[in-house]
Amino acid sequence: MIDSQEMVKKVFTQNSARIDTNKGDAYYNSLFEKAKSRLSALRKQPALKDIDLMEVVESEGVNRRDFMKWASATTATLMLPPMFTPLVAEATELMNRVPVVWIELQDCAGNSEAILRSATPTVDDLLFDVLSLEYHHTLQAASGHQAEHQLEDAIHTFKGKYLLFVEGAIPKAMNGQYGTIGPGGETFEENLNRLSKDAAAVVAVGTCATFGGIPAAAPNPTGAVGVMDIVKGKPIVNIPACPANPANMVGVVLHYVLTGQVPELDSLLRPKFAFGYRIHDNCERRAHFDAGEYVEEWGDEGAKNNWCLYKMGCKGPMTFNNCSIIRYNEGANWPIGVGRGCIGCSEPDFWDKYAYERPMADANIKAPTGGVEKTVDEFGLGLLTATSIGIGVHAVASAVAGKRTVHSEDEE
Amino acid sequence: MKTVDIVERIEGEAKLICQWDKEKISDVKIQFLNFRGFEFILKDKPILDALVYTPRICGICGQAHLKATVEAIEDIYKNHNEELTLTNKAKLLREIGLNIEIIDSHIKWFYMFIMPDIVKFSNNSLEEYSALKGKKWLEASSIASETIKSLAVIAGQWPHTSYMVPGGVVSDPTLLDLVTMQNYMDQAIRFYENSLIGTNLDTYLSFNKSEDLYKVKGDLKDFITISFENGFEKIGKSYNRHLVLGDSLSFEKGKISRKLTKNIDYENIEEFTTNSFDIDKSKVSKEAYTWSKTALYANSFYETGPLSRAVVQNRSFVSDIHKHYNDSMFTRVLARMDELGFLLSKTKELIQQININEESFIKPKVSLKDFHYGIGQSSVEACRGSLYHDVEIENGIISKYDVITPTVWNLGPGIDNKLSTSQKAIVGIDSLEKAKLILRSFDVCSVCTTH
Ligand code: SF4
Ligand code: SF4
Repeated sequence: MIDSQEMVKKVFTQNSARIDTNKGDAYYNSLFEKAKSRLSALRKQPALKDIDLMEVVESEGVNRRDFMKWASATTATLMLPPMFTPLVAEATELMNRVPVVWIELQDCAGNSEAILRSATPTVDDLLFDVLSLEYHHTLQAASGHQAEHQLEDAIHTFKGKYLLFVEGAIPKAMNGQYGTIGPGGETFEENLNRLSKDAAAVVAVGTCATFGGIPAAAPNPTGAVGVMDIVKGKPIVNIPACPANPANMVGVVLHYVLTGQVPELDSLLRPKFAFGYRIHDNCERRAHFDAGEYVEEWGDEGAKNNWCLYKMGCKGPMTFNNCSIIRYNEGANWPIGVGRGCIGCSEPDFWDKYAYERPMADANIKAPTGGVEKTVDEFGLGLLTATSIGIGVHAVASAVAGKRTVHSEDEE
Repeated sequence: MKTVDIVERIEGEAKLICQWDKEKISDVKIQFLNFRGFEFILKDKPILDALVYTPRICGICGQAHLKATVEAIEDIYKNHNEELTLTNKAKLLREIGLNIEIIDSHIKWFYMFIMPDIVKFSNNSLEEYSALKGKKWLEASSIASETIKSLAVIAGQWPHTSYMVPGGVVSDPTLLDLVTMQNYMDQAIRFYENSLIGTNLDTYLSFNKSEDLYKVKGDLKDFITISFENGFEKIGKSYNRHLVLGDSLSFEKGKISRKLTKNIDYENIEEFTTNSFDIDKSKVSKEAYTWSKTALYANSFYETGPLSRAVVQNRSFVSDIHKHYNDSMFTRVLARMDELGFLLSKTKELIQQININEESFIKPKVSLKDFHYGIGQSSVEACRGSLYHDVEIENGIISKYDVITPTVWNLGPGIDNKLSTSQKAIVGIDSLEKAKLILRSFDVCSVCTTH
């Protein structure tokens, strides 16, 4: 099994794949000082949960060295220089000082399911042991009226301090009657507005919460929108993908614990540490793309040899996400690993924009030009919101030149 | 008297409105108030897109939706006398994927969704079961996340994957992959033995009489003890009619109303919106109170799920328990945990049957776009019961897509003075807490129910 954390580290320390987010020594030095004083202030605060992380770590049979290995890989994931490693380790221990409230709106609970198996490489239940999840719609102990009181308590007690995680879109049509919550019939929109009011920051998880996701796919019957279309005047972090990668959720919390701020974001409010580069930039099949070796149909020789899935409609070249590095299910695998191609699930409107008979066959798509290792803001949004992607395969000659399957999209 | 309560710690939320008469529930309405409109979204999309859309109906049973979609599409081919050939390997990889998802769901359901409420009825304080921090809760969460990795090996990720395509699957596991999957299954089996049943899996699978309940140890014993202390074997009884629409290497289709028949005809399935909201406001009836529709088979309400599967298939242990306690809340929960053991052993066996030298995929000779018109239906057994997909296409584009999820069979609204399966199970109960437990015993998923 590939150790995903080791992979992360490798990728980020490789010159060829490095994304230039280096902001210079002065910046990091001042951030370092800031993080240090923030952590010592946090340490003085009472823990919301009386758990000693190192005790947990050790009781799970993980030694300090392994834990520090994890911390150094996580530091790399967060795109911070190595000197932050001890601080990241400390921040993990102090995660229980930052309350998290998690609500579900128009969703499938897929992101909750995903976080249940959050990549916490040294200790499986590290997150639940340490993170102070004050309320979670699906996972909490209480239910019914009791659960409601718990939520009220949490937002009252931690006024201005809690991170509000939101899963699911918000239906605006028919006065919000497509989604109501609680005995009083509060609409999802009212609920979100009320709970975000006193949050320190709002984190939208999954493509539904970020960009409206699947409920917003044409014809958007319920008038679904994302969190950033509703919540104003608050720091918002978008962690799109379907489901969002738990590693990125943990990353955002850690960054917040460490610095008291949300991480650096792109123009779609996505953390750059996770969405600063494309799937394609670090894809394990990339060498085959460059060599012009493509899978031409499922199950062919190319498929058996793990060649590039571009011609099968892989959207990796236009999708910003770190799943090619982090993978899913604690590094177990990812879509391209089993040969099905990326469907672009972390891009806005991907349901409609990237719809190309998924899983696609015989697709003609065109990667945005401008070379690799570019961020979304360097590309400009225009490129990525272009509706027409049927421009014919270009750039590289196919290894199986001239081979065409019967039902070409060009005919349409 | 009327009470309104909400049921959380399910996928989404349900609202329970009870009418009380002499301290007993005389009428109950189960409301699901969250709607996304999948059937509208699927319309006018290319049919292959459905392979990516439908798994997102539910974050827990996405594999079931994927398999239902791919099989409905293959049914379109069949209806055009262009039946696709699937290799045994492809069939196995699909079913194994689905089974792993059910295994994962059953583990989580017991520890995360129902035990935290059941232990409130115990005379002892069972803190190990408490949500988010109890030892058993954490252990279950960790073993579930290990187990699901065996699905990620062939599917790429979980939840939400689309590794099945008409003609087979896209993935081509190596021997090493299969061994890895076996190892994850073995871990889950060890958990089942050590924590849940406190005995060897083979020993457990040899249990065939209700008296064998006394031989069960582990956490399931806690459940059994609490149940008999509180009479859970007497509550939650509904029509005792059972339906299994899907058949596979693991399950058999059939139904039981008074007697068992293995004859299932999709023609007998009907869906009604009399008591459901309609997206077209002009059609909303005055009676509407939920987004869930009503599903009937041969004009009757049927229960679907692990209990139904066990009795239709006549798995001896559960069948004998069922003879004594019928479709009670106790039987229902026990059947789900029994199915966990059954599937662990079955799935291991299925993984062993894979011949990696076979193809994973055989390309269809014709494109779906070549069919001017096509219809297809399919049914698979998902964690919570029978899932049914019914699709109609014109020139490769979806003109109608209808989904009936297991929870619609169990939890949809009654119709014409006939109580639905879950309503019937709740009416007559003397406490709200018990009513909520009965509701949970069906494994509620509000997002699936309304989709
Ligand atoms: S096109 Fe897809 S499969 Fe090919 S290298 Fe890029 S991301 Fe990987
Ligand atoms: S590979 Fe693409 S489609 Fe798959 S999870 Fe990553 S971003 Fe989403």
